[in-house]
Amino acid sequence: MLLTAVVGLSQGVQKKIIEITNFFGPRSVMVFPGGRRIRGMGGRGASASTLKPLDAKAVKAELADKAVVTAGYFSGDTSVKAAGQNTQSVVISADPNFPLTFNWNVASGEPLSWDDERAMRRVCILGATAARNLFPDEDPIGKRISINRVVFKVKGVLTPRGTSPMGHDLDDRIWIPLNTGLKRVFHKDSLRFIRLNVREAKDVPAVIERLGAILRSRHHVEPPLEDDFHILTPDFIARRIKSMTRTTQLVGAGLALVALLVGGVVLMNILLLSLSERVPEIGLKRALGARQSDIFLEFLAESVLVSLMGMVLGILLGLIPVLVVPHFLPMVPMVITWKSFLYAALFALGVGLVFGVQPARRAARMDPVEALRES
Amino acid sequence: MIELKGIGKTYHTGGVDTPVLHDIDLTVEEGEFVALMGPSGTGKSTLMNILGCLDRASEGEYLFAGQDLTALDDKKLSVIRNQRIGFVFQLFNLLPRVSVIQNVLLPLLYSDPYPSNAREKATRLLETVGLGERIHFKPNALSGGQQQRVAIARAMINEPSLILADEPTGNLDSAAGEEILELFDQIHAKGRTIILVTHETPVAEHARRVVTLKDGRISSDEKRP
Repeated sequence: MLLTAVVGLSQGVQKKIIEITNFFGPRSVMVFPGGRRIRGMGGRGASASTLKPLDAKAVKAELADKAVVTAGYFSGDTSVKAAGQNTQSVVISADPNFPLTFNWNVASGEPLSWDDERAMRRVCILGATAARNLFPDEDPIGKRISINRVVFKVKGVLTPRGTSPMGHDLDDRIWIPLNTGLKRVFHKDSLRFIRLNVREAKDVPAVIERLGAILRSRHHVEPPLEDDFHILTPDFIARRIKSMTRTTQLVGAGLALVALLVGGVVLMNILLLSLSERVPEIGLKRALGARQSDIFLEFLAESVLVSLMGMVLGILLGLIPVLVVPHFLPMVPMVITWKSFLYAALFALGVGLVFGVQPARRAARMDPVEALRES
Repeated sequence: MIELKGIGKTYHTGGVDTPVLHDIDLTVEEGEFVALMGPSGTGKSTLMNILGCLDRASEGEYLFAGQDLTALDDKKLSVIRNQRIGFVFQLFNLLPRVSVIQNVLLPLLYSDPYPSNAREKATRLLETVGLGERIHFKPNALSGGQQQRVAIARAMINEPSLILADEPTGNLDSAAGEEILELFDQIHAKGRTIILVTHETPVAEHARRVVTLKDGRISSDEKRP
């Protein structure tokens, strides 16, 4: 049963890794301020301010032929008001390359333009949920909202994205021009991210390297000093997830192994016990001409059968966590695959054989005369 | 057909040697009906086990149809037990959870090759012993006498040269016991060799030759007309 759950988990992890990587964008690269020691894939808690707009400009200048670059700033939950409706949303301040790097287009209305950016206009694009929260019954385009008490005009609505693999509602977002956000709403002068969408997969490693080099030279970081930024790549994400789930997987596998061993020992003891009750039967069969090998195989086969029956029961029980856990913890990936059944079958077979050998041997080696005496 | 020369058996248990049989010289021709008698503890069952290849003698030779069995390994002895010898036990020793016909077929499971007409043979044998109507019954649905008849059918399924019966009527009332002995007479009449162990004189009187054991040795060997 444990085995099914463990295998389900590891299969689910593989799937999840692919899912998250695809969600992030297989050719996407993001840079966040703050060195490696500051964790977090969204960089939300990062209080470092080492990434500057001029850095973004330099990156753009050098890598524009290989990638589309966006600079941006995330706010945490910010209070947003429309006529009569109050809500909290995440505001993304980003330059007009945002749709290209995030693969996220406008469903209705117009996207923000470079002109809006240069003029620091107070215009915004709403995500589908934000639009619904602020304007439940009307078309938001052309209407006004206030973000942190600054008034904005709605220029468009984004296509719905759904939920992230981590469980966040992606449509509860609002996009405003980068400069507007930095200078007129949040009063910051540093970025929270730079995001690149590399045009061709083969260029990704080179881009990552150049990116690091540019930033290091601009920030005057030389080894042995650590970088004051960290780069997120799909590869990095995959490794992170793997290591995070590794502990659970190992624990699960360990438990499954222990369970198998315990089960095997129990099986062996039960077989030995039933053996003592079947002594007359063994004596009889030997008298009728059964060889030692005949008795041995017969008992071993029974042991394997019992083990397989236990496996079927275990699988049925093991399906319970695989089906139930995702209900309560959507972040934990669980998947039903035929592989887990195969492993369970093989293990059951193995256990049946290994732990059945001892009792079967005992049965075969019994002295027929003694055995008959007990009839 | 059977020649025992100087057979002796000593049990070694826990450091103590218990001699049970000494200097047994016995020849049994094909087609004889022999009764082995003697009080309990004289080694009748031990001799039976040696004759049946279930146990090995500590000394002496055992020639079965001219073949020296003393040097054979367990595998070969098992084949002889399966093909050439049929056992009938005092407590019937049928498998309780399996039907009558399957009990009769049991020895064939260990025969190589499994005969193609197995079920027919078994059914015919059960008819011969008078149980044709009950071939699908389980043993506990039968009387003692009926169960022993199943055991006899089982012993016959491989057409053995030798039938060994250990107190076959010991657990039966006199009427059932008579029926069983009549069956043995029939089997003997068809030419099979029968060795029967008993401590009851009336039973021994069905046989044509009575060998008496005392203290592990043959004390008398009488043929009757």
